[in-house]
Amino acid sequence: MKSSSILAVILSGVVQLAGPSTRADETCSSPYLARIEGQEEFVYVWTLGVEGLGDGSDKLVVVDVKPGSSRYGKVIYHYSVGGRNEAHHGGFTDDRRQLWLSGLETSKIFIFDVHSQPAKPVCVKTIENFAKVTGGAAGPHGVYALPGRVLVPCLSNAKDKGGRTALVEYSNDGDYIATHWLPTKETAGVAGAEFADGYGYDARVLPRKNVMLTSSFTGLDNYMRDFEGLVKDAGAMRQFGGSMVLWDFHTRKPKKVFSVPGAPLEIRWAWGEKHNYAFTATALASKLWLCHEDQSGEWQAKEIATIGGEGGVLPVDMSLSADDKTLFVDSFGDGTCRVFDVSNPRQPKLIYKKQIGRQLNMVSQSWDGKRLYFSSSLLARWDKGGDDNEQFVKAYGWDGEELTPKFALDFTALKLGRPHHMLFGSTKLGK
Amino acid sequence: MKTLATILAIAAISAAAHAADNARTADYDYDLPVPGSYTLPVIKPAADGALLDSTGKPRRLAELTRGRITVVSFIYTRCAAAKACPYATGVLMQLHRDSAEDAALAKELRLVSMSFDPANDTPELMAAYSRLASQHPTAAPWHFVTTRSQAELQPILAAYGQAVDKKQNSLDPTGPLNHALRVFLIDRKGCIRNIYSSGTLDPRLVLADVRTLMMEKGRP
Repeated sequence: MKSSSILAVILSGVVQLAGPSTRADETCSSPYLARIEGQEEFVYVWTLGVEGLGDGSDKLVVVDVKPGSSRYGKVIYHYSVGGRNEAHHGGFTDDRRQLWLSGLETSKIFIFDVHSQPAKPVCVKTIENFAKVTGGAAGPHGVYALPGRVLVPCLSNAKDKGGRTALVEYSNDGDYIATHWLPTKETAGVAGAEFADGYGYDARVLPRKNVMLTSSFTGLDNYMRDFEGLVKDAGAMRQFGGSMVLWDFHTRKPKKVFSVPGAPLEIRWAWGEKHNYAFTATALASKLWLCHEDQSGEWQAKEIATIGGEGGVLPVDMSLSADDKTLFVDSFGDGTCRVFDVSNPRQPKLIYKKQIGRQLNMVSQSWDGKRLYFSSSLLARWDKGGDDNEQFVKAYGWDGEELTPKFALDFTALKLGRPHHMLFGSTKLGK
Repeated sequence: MKTLATILAIAAISAAAHAADNARTADYDYDLPVPGSYTLPVIKPAADGALLDSTGKPRRLAELTRGRITVVSFIYTRCAAAKACPYATGVLMQLHRDSAEDAALAKELRLVSMSFDPANDTPELMAAYSRLASQHPTAAPWHFVTTRSQAELQPILAAYGQAVDKKQNSLDPTGPLNHALRVFLIDRKGCIRNIYSSGTLDPRLVLADVRTLMMEKGRP
C-alpha cells in the first residue's frame, strides 16, 4: 500500500468522528471559501445606483432569508458606497470575513466587513488606484477567494479600454500582489495560442487538478456603451472574446487556449471527486460548452447544446447543482431560466424552463438545490428600456420538477437600483 | 475525548510522516511544476510577536522567520479534523524527514508549528508534541511554540489573517475551535511568499516552493 493511501485510511477514522457534514452554501462559490453551516440567512445584493432613484448610489443591499424570520424576504439594510461605478460582481475572502465588491467603470473595489455584523456589513476599505498599481489592468470583474488572497479577473485595460486584460491578485489585507496578463497569439509556449485574444471574464480553479480556466468577454469601450448602438456597430461587435484558457494554477502560467466563439462567460466546475469538467455558456452564440479532461489526460473544449431557439437568447449567468446533475441557465434576452439535466455532461437535456421576468441575469443556488435566487440587471447601458426594465430579486423553490415563487422584491419601487450579483451570508460559518 | 482526539491526531501525523512519495493522490492529481520554473511573488511581511518556546523561554516570532526559508503552520493540538491541524503537522513532518535526507535542504529550511490555543497548548504540551520531530536529528530545525495569553496571541493571528473562533458546540469531537487551515511559506528576508490551505497544502508542492526559494540565492 502506498504511504499516501495509509494516510488516507488513518484519516478516514478521524472523518467518521467528525459526524455528518454540515456543508452548505451557494454552489458556485470558490472551493477555498469557508462554508456556511446550515441554511443561508442573508442574500447580499450588489446593486447599481440609478440616477434620480433613491440616493442614486451603488449599494450593498441585504435581504433577510433566514427561515422563520419575521422579516423573511424583506430588505433589512443597505449601505451606499457613494457614486456609481458600474457595480457588477464580487466575492468573499477565503475566511469569509470580507466581501469585496467591484466597479467595472471606475475600477474601484469596495471591501466590506461581513464578519462583525453579518446583517449590517460596513465598507472598511476602498481600493481606488487599481489600474495604477496593477500595471494597467481595468474593469475588475469577479473576486475569487484563494488561500489568504483573492484573484480578480478583469475585463479591460486602462490604456485603450479594449478587451486586452489581466488577472490580478490582492492579499486579504487589500494589498496588491501580482498581475497576470491573459495570453495573446504572441505568447510563447502555449498550445492553441492561435486562438488567444487576451480577453478575460471569469476565472475558476479545480484545485485537485491544479488547473484554472478563464473565459473572455469584452472591454470597457463596449460594456459601457449603449447596447442598441453597440449591436449595430460591426467593428465593435468584433471586439468580443472567443477563447478560453487553461492555466497551470500554481505557476499561473497559461497552458492551452481553446476556441470558444461568442463570448464565453461564467465557468462552473463540477464538484464530484472524479468529475474533471466545467460548463460555460457563450453569450453571443447561445451555446453551452464543456471543458473536460479526456481519457489521455488532455484537456478539450466541446460545444454540447444550443440554448434557446434561432437568433439566440443571450445566456448569461448559470448555476450547477452541488450533485453536478442539474444546470440552471439564465438568459437575458427572454428573461427565462432553462434547466438542463447534465447527469451526462456531454449530452445535456432541457427538462424545464420558466420566464422569471422580462429581463434576467444572475442566479444563485443553495447547496441543497432547494432554493434559487434571481436578479435582473446585466449592465446599466445594456438593461432593457420602458416596461421591460424590470429590476428585481426573486426567490424560488425547486423540487426537481418546477420552480415555485417564494418572494419577489421590486428594486425600482424600493428606490434601490439595478440588482446584480447575489451572495449568501450567515452568522454560522464552518471551517 | 480530548485524549482520544490527540491520539488520533498523532496517529494521523505519524502516518503522514511515512507518506513520502511523489505520486499523485486523489486530492492532488497533477504533475508538479519544476522548482525554479516559476516565481512566488511577495504577499506581505511576516509579522513579529511574542512567543514561548517548548521550554517556556520567551522568543520573538521574527527570530523564527528570518535567515532561513520557513514554513509556519498555525495549529492547535486538540484539533482532530481530518484535513486540518493533524494533516498540516503531517506535511511539516514530511518536510522534516525530507530535510534529514538532504543536507542542503536541512541547512536552508526551518519549520514552525505555532499554537493558537494557549490555554491548552502550554509549553509543556508543545514539548510533548515536539517529540514527533525527534527521530531525525540531522533534519531542519522544527520549533513548537505557543503564546503566553490571548492578548499576545491575537495580534499575531490578526497580522497573519488566521481566523479562529470558538465553536458553539464546545464538545465537538473534532475540537472546540473553528479555524481556517493556514500554512505560510516565508523567505529568508521574512516575506510571506505563499499561503496554503486545505486545497493547496500538497506536501510535494510545498517542497517545490521551498526549492524555488532556495534557487533565488545569488539571483541578481
